[in-house]
Amino acid sequence: MNKRLPISEVWVYLSGDPLFALIITLATYQFGYLLYVRAKRHPLVNPVAISVILTCVIIDLLEMPYEKYFEGAQFVHFLLGTATVALAIPIYNGFKRMQGKILHIWVALTAGSTVSIVSAVVIAKLMGAGDNIVGSMYAKSVTAPIAMGIAERLNVSPTLTVVFTVITGMLGAILAPYIMNALKIHQWWIRGTAIGVGAHGLGITRAFSVNEEAGIYASMAMGLNGVISAIGLPIVLTYLRPYLGF
Amino acid sequence: MISGLVQLFLWQGLGELLSKFFLPSIPGPVLGLLLLVAFLCVKGQVNTDLAEVADAFRQHLGLLFVPASVGVVLFLPDLKTHALAVSTALIVSVILTIGVTAIVLKVFWYFSLKRSKGTAMSKGHRHE
Repeated sequence: MNKRLPISEVWVYLSGDPLFALIITLATYQFGYLLYVRAKRHPLVNPVAISVILTCVIIDLLEMPYEKYFEGAQFVHFLLGTATVALAIPIYNGFKRMQGKILHIWVALTAGSTVSIVSAVVIAKLMGAGDNIVGSMYAKSVTAPIAMGIAERLNVSPTLTVVFTVITGMLGAILAPYIMNALKIHQWWIRGTAIGVGAHGLGITRAFSVNEEAGIYASMAMGLNGVISAIGLPIVLTYLRPYLGF
Repeated sequence: MISGLVQLFLWQGLGELLSKFFLPSIPGPVLGLLLLVAFLCVKGQVNTDLAEVADAFRQHLGLLFVPASVGVVLFLPDLKTHALAVSTALIVSVILTIGVTAIVLKVFWYFSLKRSKGTAMSKGHRHE
């Protein structure tokens, strides 16, 4: 008993410190990233998913409430906004390349993200999911930092939104090559743009690992899709919500 | 590295101010992004510091949403009861999103190809 005392004191000190949450977050991500690289960047071995699952297990075992964890992890969370601003660079680089295709890409992005939102919301609603879940489907195809900003403004759960976003990214990165091959689409820029809209961050990583041009278009599509949704969604929803009933 | 980060923070700050006082429906960072794109278009190039930081963010964007995703622990019971609805919605939606975007682009591409072939041919005729 006497021997345990100092250790538990150290533990009390450590677990109260924001550093601890930061260590769990970064270490689990690092671990996930190593596995991801080992698995030759297979989309199923997603570092974010690994990190989230491990972190959930750890804080559950330690009986650490989520609020407590977030107190420390918020320093990582804060950088989401800055990362959003950084999307300006791939958008700009994409703009330089897509001379003459700008209008086409705008139309395709708008169509894609509309389909994404409508299909997810309608299916979830029809299958009886609660308002919390249905609401979080709105921004799920948008890159996570922007998706959370949108969710906050729509008064839906940013957490569920970001979880759906991550799952969407994984699914999209896995399924995209099959969808493209089934549709017989072989142009890299089209494949890149579509995967950027459907699978955002993870899609980009996947696209870059296959073809540089696809990666640049994917980054640009992800950024633009985020911008279109951030501006369009709140406006559209304020007018449509009363009619749609959700 | 630091200079790139400072630039991003400044644009973010500017975006937050704009969002707070003029356009509350759009998140500040998105406005910061738009301002930065406009700035880059005017300037015509990306400085290396900024490109470096942006690249680092792009590569490890995933890490930044771990803290928020861990919040899923609060929703586990809700998600379990609606697991089928959630997974169907996500899978069908992602297939449709990627499919529709690609098809729209392919259609546009097809028509612009046809048009450019047409003009090339008429030019060719003139040549003869």
